Amino acid sequence: MKLDFHFIWTAFLQLLTAVPTALAMTGVSVFSGLLIGTAVAVIRLYKVPVLHRAAAAYVTFIRGTPMLTHLLLIYFGLPMLVDAIAEGLGLPFRSVSIPMIGFAYIAFSITAGAYMSEVVRSGLLAVNRGQLEAAYSIGMSTPQAMRRIILPQAFAASLPNLSNMVIGMLHGSTLAFTVSVVEINAKAQIVATTNWKFFEAYLAAAVIFWGLTFIIERLTALAEKRFNLYNRGGVSS
Amino acid sequence: MIKLKQIRKSFGRTEVLKGIDLTVNKGQVVAILGPSGSGKTTLLRCINYLEKPGDGQISIGDLTVDCKRHSKKDIHALRQKSAMVFQQYHLFRHKTALENVMEGLVVVKKQPKEEARARSIELLEKVGLGNKLHAYPSELSGGQQQRVGIARALALNPEVILFDEPTSALDPELVGEVLAVIRKIAKEGITMIIVTHEMGFAQDVANHVVFMDGGVIVEEGRPNEIFTSPKEERTKQFLKRITPESVYSI
Repeated sequence: MKLDFHFIWTAFLQLLTAVPTALAMTGVSVFSGLLIGTAVAVIRLYKVPVLHRAAAAYVTFIRGTPMLTHLLLIYFGLPMLVDAIAEGLGLPFRSVSIPMIGFAYIAFSITAGAYMSEVVRSGLLAVNRGQLEAAYSIGMSTPQAMRRIILPQAFAASLPNLSNMVIGMLHGSTLAFTVSVVEINAKAQIVATTNWKFFEAYLAAAVIFWGLTFIIERLTALAEKRFNLYNRGGVSS
Repeated sequence: MIKLKQIRKSFGRTEVLKGIDLTVNKGQVVAILGPSGSGKTTLLRCINYLEKPGDGQISIGDLTVDCKRHSKKDIHALRQKSAMVFQQYHLFRHKTALENVMEGLVVVKKQPKEEARARSIELLEKVGLGNKLHAYPSELSGGQQQRVGIARALALNPEVILFDEPTSALDPELVGEVLAVIRKIAKEGITMIIVTHEMGFAQDVANHVVFMDGGVIVEEGRPNEIFTSPKEERTKQFLKRITPESVYSI
């Protein structure tokens, strides 16, 4: 066996052009997932009438089906829905004008939202009930208490799980190749077809993923230091 | 003035408060005593609506809330008229001592930041923590945390401060510093209701003592009357068991 180091380097450089796409999918899905997840977690934890059942159904269905399935369902289902609605309303808009990556954004956000809701929920559970009572006792309303007291602490407590999610979504974004989005793995395949050196190309992809993950890990460590400033001593406090 | 009328509260099928009537005048310091499970903490929490009473009426100042018919706005208004000092302190863990005291002023009372800061520093100095303004709760001792809790309550300038066993979670050598602060503010004429097990302190600081047992007020009166010549048998028994002499004369 002989490795073509020169080609690994060539592939590496070419794969870098796909990094923004992968990061965009990760960023969008994590960000909207966090919004969806926070809403779902709060709804479930405080048992908002009717909505909490819908929220529970969402979480169990999405976590009960693979991420790839979500992508395919959105990719094939959403255009039908969009076209039907557009036609019904007499709008000129048609689903063909949605860019491929748009389906990935939507599908992955839905996936991330379900997992993220559990991340946020565990964070909320980690906040002592006394914190909410203290907020009420100084006259805060529930939204004020949530925003100023509970969510910041829940966020700090969720950071380790949150970074897990970011890494998971980064690696999961490779599934977007099934709907013709050229992300890092797909790019590796394209690069390799010129000379059939698949192993070298995928090796270069692996190095890139590892590098990106390493950066995420370091950023999390920094964020933990910043947001958990008040928790001197961790477990022992 | 605070007026409680026929306050009832049940947890499941257990009735914890069986129709409590209590009037607290402006500037009065009321100590609520009683064995555990007598409902004294629940009563205190009802005044701040941390527990929702099943029935009854709560009046603080000019506001009266009927526990059966009230809006969210009523509760919000009621909570703004009182402040609570918790047994477990419950300081906001992600905020410094200064931020803990400022929080209510800035967020609830909408005071300008500079004004709130000045007032908060003044209060923290008053409870002897002028040198700990920027410490997080995790960096403070229990006694210091509780003093921040008292400053946080004072900042809101409430009509009444509710103390829920403020020294029960403290190491014995830290109890004194917290009691000293409460004693100091009691002298300033702030209305206070204190649930406590510190009999000596209750006798010394309170000008009205309430003895509760089994979800009812058994007896109430001036500290001298209650401690030296209680009328009810249950009060006598309780005081006999709990007075320091008998505790330490083993």
